[in-house]
Amino acid sequence: MAAVTEAPAPPAPATPATKPPRRRGRFTPYWLLLPGILWLLVFFALPMIYQGSTSVQTGSLEQGYKVTWHFATYWDALSTYWPQFLRSVLYAAAATLLCLVLGYPLAYLIAFRAGRWRNLVMILVIAPFFTSFLIRTLAWKTILADNGPVVGALNTLHVLDVTNWLGWTAGDRVLATPLAVVCGLTYNFLPFMILPLYTSLERIDGRLHEAAGDLYATPFTTFRKVTFPLSMPGVVSGTLLTFIPAAGDYVNADLLGSTDTRMVGNVIQTQFLRILDYPTAAALSFILMAAILAMVTFYIRRSGTEDLV
Amino acid sequence: MTTDNSGDVRLSGIGKTYGSFTAVHPLDLTVPQGSFFALLGASGCGKTTTLRMIAGLEEPSSGTVHLGDQDVTRLPPYKRPVNTVFQSYALFPHLDIFENVAFGLRRRGIKSVKKQVEDMLDLVQLGEQARKKPHQLSGGQQQRVAVARALINHPKVLLLDEPLGALDLKLRRQMQLELKRIQTEVGITFIHVTHDQEEAMTMADTVAVMNAGRVEQLGSPSDLYENPQTTFVANFLGTSNLIEAEVDSKSGDRIILKAGGGKLTLPEARCSAPATAGGKVLVGVRPEKISLTHADDAGDIPEGRNRISGRIADSSFIGVSTQYVVDSPVCPEFEVYAQNIDRDPRLVPGAEVVLHWNPAHTFGLDAAQDIDAGVETVEPEEGVAA
Repeated sequence: MAAVTEAPAPPAPATPATKPPRRRGRFTPYWLLLPGILWLLVFFALPMIYQGSTSVQTGSLEQGYKVTWHFATYWDALSTYWPQFLRSVLYAAAATLLCLVLGYPLAYLIAFRAGRWRNLVMILVIAPFFTSFLIRTLAWKTILADNGPVVGALNTLHVLDVTNWLGWTAGDRVLATPLAVVCGLTYNFLPFMILPLYTSLERIDGRLHEAAGDLYATPFTTFRKVTFPLSMPGVVSGTLLTFIPAAGDYVNADLLGSTDTRMVGNVIQTQFLRILDYPTAAALSFILMAAILAMVTFYIRRSGTEDLV
Repeated sequence: MTTDNSGDVRLSGIGKTYGSFTAVHPLDLTVPQGSFFALLGASGCGKTTTLRMIAGLEEPSSGTVHLGDQDVTRLPPYKRPVNTVFQSYALFPHLDIFENVAFGLRRRGIKSVKKQVEDMLDLVQLGEQARKKPHQLSGGQQQRVAVARALINHPKVLLLDEPLGALDLKLRRQMQLELKRIQTEVGITFIHVTHDQEEAMTMADTVAVMNAGRVEQLGSPSDLYENPQTTFVANFLGTSNLIEAEVDSKSGDRIILKAGGGKLTLPEARCSAPATAGGKVLVGVRPEKISLTHADDAGDIPEGRNRISGRIADSSFIGVSTQYVVDSPVCPEFEVYAQNIDRDPRLVPGAEVVLHWNPAHTFGLDAAQDIDAGVETVEPEEGVAA
């Protein structure tokens, strides 16, 4: 029997593909992007351009508006309505802070302690969305009504004396005061805070808590040094999702506030729909947008979340 | 060093139940200061639960944990002078390597940590990586960070929960030696949980083999290997050939057994079961202790050796040795490992052979046990806590 001295022949080299890859493949991603791009063009870019041109027009409703590059509208709008701008930022910031203070413990409980109740509690968080935004806000009118139980209780506990002194409430009322508007904003945007917080907390590996405990961190230190820093992405996205819509909101100020609590959203709404001064309304919208963009950029830079995860 | 017992770990009657499931049956265990102790067992045997009870991450359902003379049973983990190297390392992803290692020192209010952290990183050869984040390191480097992060606190006891489970084989070998070196250097008590019997035997001074929430046997690796007390230990640590045999008679310190028509001799000292004439025992012998002789040369086998005849069913050549499976009347799959020194070309599948070994290498076990307990030791490298 002859010994096999030759190694088996290696497999034949793969023949180079003679057919070039089908050309259609190259453009597929762009075809898939097309619907979205069209949507953005028609419903975002064009209206923006239109609003931009509106903001630099002059004229009147009777004689029609013409583009005259009248940038002074911006300055006039800002100098007239700066208190409303300031109020918007303050109310939105207060509501965001309240959402964070209320939402964080809740999200923490759902993520780490709820066990089998987790899904039920999550549904309860989202449940208010099954009712209209308007109805939910109107319900707060009843809750905060002048002779309702909440105002009564606050009065008895002398809480209203404190809030009156702080300027958050006036007289013996809560309705039609800054407090009512901030309460409404907080209530309406709370789920937008809880959901991202929950998502980022839930992703934290439980063994990190054990490791921190093992390395002499008390439960509180573990929270301060491990849990909270790791939940920063949730904190940032939660505060953004709350602050941005809250700053532009007008429903809460309209239904729960008074003329003294008007926010910039209310001004824009009035300018557009009642006074029909389109250039001013458009200019206000752009100022609001620019202000929010600037604040958000600053905030994201400061919180340094791009470093996380 | 013998007078210092502050690093002793004493478990008395410690047990853990989850509802009706008993993860750990009440067990007593003393790990002396400075030893390298391994808890070995398949997943789900209660070894990790035992470790977590020492760390304080799990509250025992019964019993007490002592470190030295201090009862720590009710102490939360952050008050115990014990540190853990976790299975998946559990490094803090938002902190760099330096801060990960400094974490324990900072929590104890130590201000100047720089020198200590740098020394510790040098010990695990990661001085260059101090400012990197954990996800930028390889598995082996992360593992060393986890060890450094625990060791820097000079714990009385270091607990290691399958610390090498996520590493590939070559790296694991390297880390085994590395951990052993570190342990010798720092002299801290190490308690190591693993399902890898080779790992346990290479590293530990003392191994406790756990099965179904109980410690089956405790001893030095060679003692466990040579003198298994149960079929589980015999099969889980390495491979054993177990034969069911009947006690025939006793002569001096030897027990004569009948198995498959032949006679076997077993030293009485190596039989862990009571042997009365007519009773049954399991006779065991390790595959590498057996010699294989072709049936034609059976006359050359010296007198006084235990013999069994059979036929080679299978053989596989693995370089340093050849592993044979021999079909014999007493045991259908007798395993024999023969060193490849002088290979007999007649020893091929189908050949009639005689297996023979020194009776001193025979051990006896209680026949009332499951003869196959602990056979399946091959398990996936699971990430599930055992």
